[in-house]
Amino acid sequence: MTKYILKRIVWIFITLWIIATITFFLMKLLPGTPYTNQAKLSADQIRIMNDQYGLNKPLFTQYWIYIVGLLHGDLGTSFQFNNQPVTYLIANRLGPSIQIGAQAMIVGTIFGILLGAIAAVRQNTWVDSVATFFAIVGRSIPNFVFAVILQFFLAFKLHLFPIALWDGFTSSILPTIALAMAPLADTARFMRTEMVDVLSSDYIELARSKGLSNWQTVAKHALRNSLIPVVTIIGPMAVALMTGSMVIENIFSIPGIGEQFVKSILTNDYPTIMGLTIVYSAALLAVYLIVDILYGIIDPRIRLSSTGGKE
Amino acid sequence: MKLKKVLGAGLVIAASAFLLAACGSNSSSSSSSSASNSKTFTRMEGDTIQTMDPSTNTDAISGQALIDTMDGFYRYNGKKLQPAIATSVAEPTNDGKTYTIKLRKDAKWANGDPVTAKDFVYGWRRTVDPKTASQYAYLYNQVENAQDIQSGKKSPDTLGIKALDDHTVEITLSEAVPYFNGLMTNPAFFPQNQKFVEKMGKKYGTSAKYALSNGPFILKGWTGTNNSWTESKNKDYWNAKAVKLNAVKVQVVKDPSTSLNLYQSGKLNDAILSGENAQQMKNDPAFTPRKQSSVFFVEMNQKTIPAFKNEKIRQAISMSINRKELVNKVLGNGSLAADNVTPQGLMDDPTTGKDFAKEAASKDSQYTTYNPKKAKQLFKEGLQEVGAKNVNVTLLGDDTDNAKKMNEYLQSTWQDNLPGLKVTLQNVPFKTRLTRSQNGQFDMVVSAWGADYPDPISFLDLFTTDNSYNNGKWSNSQYDQLVQDSKTTDVLNKEKRWDDLMQAQNIITEQQGVVPLYQRVEAHLVNKKVKNLQYSPANNYNFVTTYIKN
Repeated sequence: MTKYILKRIVWIFITLWIIATITFFLMKLLPGTPYTNQAKLSADQIRIMNDQYGLNKPLFTQYWIYIVGLLHGDLGTSFQFNNQPVTYLIANRLGPSIQIGAQAMIVGTIFGILLGAIAAVRQNTWVDSVATFFAIVGRSIPNFVFAVILQFFLAFKLHLFPIALWDGFTSSILPTIALAMAPLADTARFMRTEMVDVLSSDYIELARSKGLSNWQTVAKHALRNSLIPVVTIIGPMAVALMTGSMVIENIFSIPGIGEQFVKSILTNDYPTIMGLTIVYSAALLAVYLIVDILYGIIDPRIRLSSTGGKE
Repeated sequence: MKLKKVLGAGLVIAASAFLLAACGSNSSSSSSSSASNSKTFTRMEGDTIQTMDPSTNTDAISGQALIDTMDGFYRYNGKKLQPAIATSVAEPTNDGKTYTIKLRKDAKWANGDPVTAKDFVYGWRRTVDPKTASQYAYLYNQVENAQDIQSGKKSPDTLGIKALDDHTVEITLSEAVPYFNGLMTNPAFFPQNQKFVEKMGKKYGTSAKYALSNGPFILKGWTGTNNSWTESKNKDYWNAKAVKLNAVKVQVVKDPSTSLNLYQSGKLNDAILSGENAQQMKNDPAFTPRKQSSVFFVEMNQKTIPAFKNEKIRQAISMSINRKELVNKVLGNGSLAADNVTPQGLMDDPTTGKDFAKEAASKDSQYTTYNPKKAKQLFKEGLQEVGAKNVNVTLLGDDTDNAKKMNEYLQSTWQDNLPGLKVTLQNVPFKTRLTRSQNGQFDMVVSAWGADYPDPISFLDLFTTDNSYNNGKWSNSQYDQLVQDSKTTDVLNKEKRWDDLMQAQNIITEQQGVVPLYQRVEAHLVNKKVKNLQYSPANNYNFVTTYIKN
């Protein structure tokens, strides 16, 4: 197991290096300069600026300088925020995004599992229909619509929450709920489908015939076995949630990372693009590793081997 | 069993979240009092501060924060230029090329140092030094030796600024610049404290603690990346008696409905509206449109589409646009239909006091007034003159929602009104649009320009024959001559210079060298209790005299 994890970690670093390399060269294909005032700079002035920032050097030299810096933990300084180290920028902006993402993840999966399980147990009753309806609504209405509705009614009209602004835990509740809707719906759907399957299997019949009540059967035997597909979707979902949602961050004025990524691409802020790509990729790869380890814990039949596959 | 525990824990977390939320409602209502605090002005920006280094600042938000926390020679109070660190607004000598500016002796930096002539000399040299890589260094182009310093041919010490003594600065220009006093209100011309800048090194201006104030307010709470900050009154400011506000609190708000909700719940004294919200609140007593010194216009590339050399075709393109419909129905954000490429509110007639753009429009507005019949006829005649049956063009524009809507509108209005004109749309990201415009890779492009200083020359200079920003390559020798005269022979004669610029404006409008579309207006809601909130022609607030009436 340890050997397997170590091997996976080595591969994570190799993958990161490949991603960084591809992104670096693709990014340099973006038209324009990283200068915000480009519209007013003459060709001469742009040349002077490029000299200062080393952007006139051959592309491979620039790449080499970047990779050497990266190995020393230096992600460079932002163009958009003059002289601001990218590590500082990301560290400061990642916090709120992770907080809201993690909260949405917890709320979404827990309620999703409950909703899905209830729907499966009460299959084809009105309870199932209501739960399915919620799942469809949660999946099909975009989160920013929820955000605007929640903001208007719960914050603006009823004053239960702050309208926006990042100021303590209370200001994170509405964005959390808005963000949690989609993972809640997804989890509920997967949970229901899998649970319906599991509930009709032989060992559940056996458990029931032994005299266990319906809820005891579900809690002790069915739930765990239904979680495998849910864990599969949780991985990418977690990364998507924690790396920030530009729209939700904008609606609630949260100083998160989601918007920063889009903006760095639009403004050709090369070091920030690279820094964020590397952080996102590292998070995604780490989550995949965790998910694979979780499989083994949830389903003892899956054992991780050092050959890299699952037995 | 474990699973049960996990589920149980989850429920507890969820329940406590809602309980906390209920408690939270109290704290949120208590903090709402901040906007009604009679000495704190709460406002919003669309983005965060990017730098507090006056040399490298480029964006309007950082510019406003610099103006709030720093004093240069002068400060705009509304349209009026007033002395700040200078004791009076200087009159140039030596044919408009020398400015001798006396400084007040009671101005201080927040670290206790006096503000002296040396601080200006240091700040100016630092901005022009190519090592600083200032994107606004070109504003110094007419200061003696500035261009040679930027290109590395001369040392920054040779810049045309000298400290005659601790409180006298002498500036030498290579040519007279009639708007130079106004230009110096740009933060790129602010003084800088050498001791502080060198001590901070690369960190200078990257957060509130690495910035040094010498102005009416001191920046607090800006960490370099966060979305809110406070500008607190600087008790040691030389004019502290005049400053009535205790603080200006700024919050970054990006969503239009959030800004409206925050304003209506009393959390903001001044909110910026956009799109539908601006339209919806137009009749609210608090609605305050703020004209921006920027104009959107269409450039027609005479190199790729020779038909654009024909004046009638260009006029037809202009006269087939219903600008009022464009701004009211398509954009709907309070923008102003533009009759000229020069925006309103830049400069007033030295004799009559009338606004430049309005006076120009009174003479030549027929070329920008919607007249589909005339446009059709002109287009037909134009096509005959160039010997073509039809013209196929691509309109290059930005890929923002607003730009797309506008480009689609232009496409349909042109194709409907001008038979024989086929327009294909190409919406691209901003930087791509810029690069293609600058390289001449377009047929028609929607461009925008914002004034760096409140003078029509900021716009009219762009379209002279050799100007590198003249992307469409429209050329008129009389126009070139008039612009040249306004900078040379008539530079010191206000009336003559005004006439030169006015005539040049009339020529480019009559010929539709570029087709003006609209002037940007930023729609605000400003609480009626806020008094004396001054807005400058450079699109900045001056909070020195602002107060909130109870």
